[in-house]
Amino acid sequence: MSYSLSLVGPYLDIAIVFALVLALAPSIGSFMGRVFMNRPTVGEGVFGPIERAIYRLLGVNPRHSMRVREYAVAFLLSNAVLILWIFFLLMFQNRFPWGATPGISPMAWDLALHSASSFSTNTDFVHFVTESQVTQGGLLLGLQVAMFLSAGAGLAILAAFIRGFVRKDGTIGNYFVDITRCVVRILTPLSILGAVVLVFLGLPETFATSATVHTLLGSTQSIPLGPVASWQSIMLIGSNGGGIFGANSAHPFENPSALSNLFEIGLMMVVPFSSPFAFASAVRRKGEALPFLGTILIVFFTAVALVIIGQIATNPDLSPIAALSQGSAYPVGQETRFTLPEGALFQTVSVYANVGANNMAIGALSPIGQMAMLFGMFTQSTPGGVGTGMGYLLTNALIAIFVGGLMVGRTPEYLGKKIGRQQIGWAASLLLVHPVLIFTPLVATLMGGFVPPLPTAVGASAHTFTSILYEFTSEAANNGSGMGSVYVNDATLWFNVVGAVVMLIGRFFPMIAMLMISHYFSVQSPLPPGPGTLKTQSFTFTIYLTLFLIILTALLFLPALALGPLTQIGGG
Amino acid sequence: MTVHPPRPVRPLDPIPDETATEAPPVPAGHHPVLGHLRASIVLLVLTVFLLGLAYPGAITFFAQKVEATSANGSLYYVNGTAYGSTLIAQNLSAPWLFWERPTPYDYNSSLGSPTLLGYSDPALVNETKSYMQQYGPYKVNASVPAILVTISGSGLDPDLTPEAVLVQIPRIAAHSNLTEAELNTLVDAYIIPPFAGFIGPAYVDVFKLDLKLLTLEHRSV
Repeated sequence: MSYSLSLVGPYLDIAIVFALVLALAPSIGSFMGRVFMNRPTVGEGVFGPIERAIYRLLGVNPRHSMRVREYAVAFLLSNAVLILWIFFLLMFQNRFPWGATPGISPMAWDLALHSASSFSTNTDFVHFVTESQVTQGGLLLGLQVAMFLSAGAGLAILAAFIRGFVRKDGTIGNYFVDITRCVVRILTPLSILGAVVLVFLGLPETFATSATVHTLLGSTQSIPLGPVASWQSIMLIGSNGGGIFGANSAHPFENPSALSNLFEIGLMMVVPFSSPFAFASAVRRKGEALPFLGTILIVFFTAVALVIIGQIATNPDLSPIAALSQGSAYPVGQETRFTLPEGALFQTVSVYANVGANNMAIGALSPIGQMAMLFGMFTQSTPGGVGTGMGYLLTNALIAIFVGGLMVGRTPEYLGKKIGRQQIGWAASLLLVHPVLIFTPLVATLMGGFVPPLPTAVGASAHTFTSILYEFTSEAANNGSGMGSVYVNDATLWFNVVGAVVMLIGRFFPMIAMLMISHYFSVQSPLPPGPGTLKTQSFTFTIYLTLFLIILTALLFLPALALGPLTQIGGG
Repeated sequence: MTVHPPRPVRPLDPIPDETATEAPPVPAGHHPVLGHLRASIVLLVLTVFLLGLAYPGAITFFAQKVEATSANGSLYYVNGTAYGSTLIAQNLSAPWLFWERPTPYDYNSSLGSPTLLGYSDPALVNETKSYMQQYGPYKVNASVPAILVTISGSGLDPDLTPEAVLVQIPRIAAHSNLTEAELNTLVDAYIIPPFAGFIGPAYVDVFKLDLKLLTLEHRSV
């Protein structure tokens, strides 16, 4: 990793990627806002007929707007159908087309349950090695389908959430219209565009499952292949993150060069970083985007800086080894073809945008870097996953406005809608379910002795704790990044079943809560802003929201950080 | 700014949210649960065919037309035989070849990602020392760069920094008919500079380098 500590050089390319994404965000966000609110968009002549055909096939009247109960039923039914399909597909994957991959057997029920829950909930936490445990039929007919539908569901829920601020008739839209429009107009065009560029950047794209080569030293090597470019595109755009290979985006086929790495960073950022603008465009208040974007950027930049700092420092444990030169970048778990800032930005975007793809080994990351990653999964909203991240940030903002309003004696209201007892009740339970979902299985795992024997007994305990904490945090946040399985052999019955439950509740409870908040707003008529209204379009509010988010997260999760990564930093 | 007349709404267009003021009646004959179940199943079937099959099919068709080499895994052929992928590491552990980074699984590329030892794990020190031992019997002209004795994120990293390649030259000179000066020239020619001067590090693809090295050494591959 040739990397010099000059101030500009190594950071120039990641700064350009960042600037490009932020420059495009207002236009893409405004487009997304129009998609959410059923307004005509660019390409109406192409998308309109496709959608009308889909509505006809679905038997859906797109002019029928649903109340919250009907919307939730449609949303949950649709997801149940998806989960069942993938569950049975993986259990009987050898009987489906492209199922005859040599050496691949049907999945056990618990692994299939975990995998179906994982991909349907946009988590993509894998307990399997993709290239040796899932057939190509299972990948394409099952997991890739879930990558589109789960990302579409996330965007649909955000659309329904935002609709509460706009409507006053007690309805929050039509789930099938929302998911259709989000998949047809946002995810599919972006994925095709992304896949075409990735093809030119050198990713494989073939239906062959492997190639056999004669190595230079005369033996043979079997190299797994697949439709990598098309997979990688939706995996990153939809904040999914489950690699077509076990090594994920560190695998040279998923991410062959520094250039592909930069482009993939852009793919991960595009929807989440445009979402504040989508919200502002949907509610027709352009100024509402910046406080949210500001909050996201402050937390996110801090995390990137922490990860980079952690990797620049040499590892003190390795220093005593004679004749070993550590250089200026910690190489364990890193790929040579990325510079340190390029690798760190990819990994931080991936975790913070709830993608969960890896271009490095998180298990080998410095403790301070691991702590930064955990923090992103605790907030889930800086910027968070496709659709859901903005939903979490809005929920945090509602509580912040409510608390701020109480402190200064102002009416708690947002965009002309009063924030009442019901909204705060659902918002608070939405935030509280996250620590409950992390700490209950964590404590049960440790107390119940479900941790397999450790390969190294001394000094690894804080790391073991961190990796179990990381596992459940990643599942509860529907993130999907993992620290690996030497410390936690996580493909056991216990981790499969508990993990599936954590992912399902971690996904569907907050989404139902968002729908309920939207419902209670949608029955109100908007009030004109009065003198007591808290001004949210301000720098002060941005800082207030940022601090509120950080303090709330710290209060909920600091003890866990103290037992894991903080102990390691302190010399454990 | 020109004012466009409102777009006519077709029977199958959703109503833009601003224009909807009251809940439209539920259409006749609509069963809330069975109707949604049917819609969910049809949505899944459509997605399976359009996005599970047609989408990768179309991209594959396109990729095989425009970028056939990389679309099939960047395999490197000499006289019709594939000797490896320029993107994937393979076992090159002969003393007369440049070595790549170590891997926990003998370059079998279907075992998933290696799980790496934690930052503060005592086993990491032992592992690093054991990987350094393979450099012990051979003359090394400098200290061993850490990248040469630590596992990469994928375990399949075929690349090395120029420094990590250069320190191996004395060993290769001792095991081949090439001098250190000739090897230095060879390595210099195989350093891939940062793209456009500022994207990515300078690095060496060890597979390509060793392929050239074998022909220079007049060994058969």
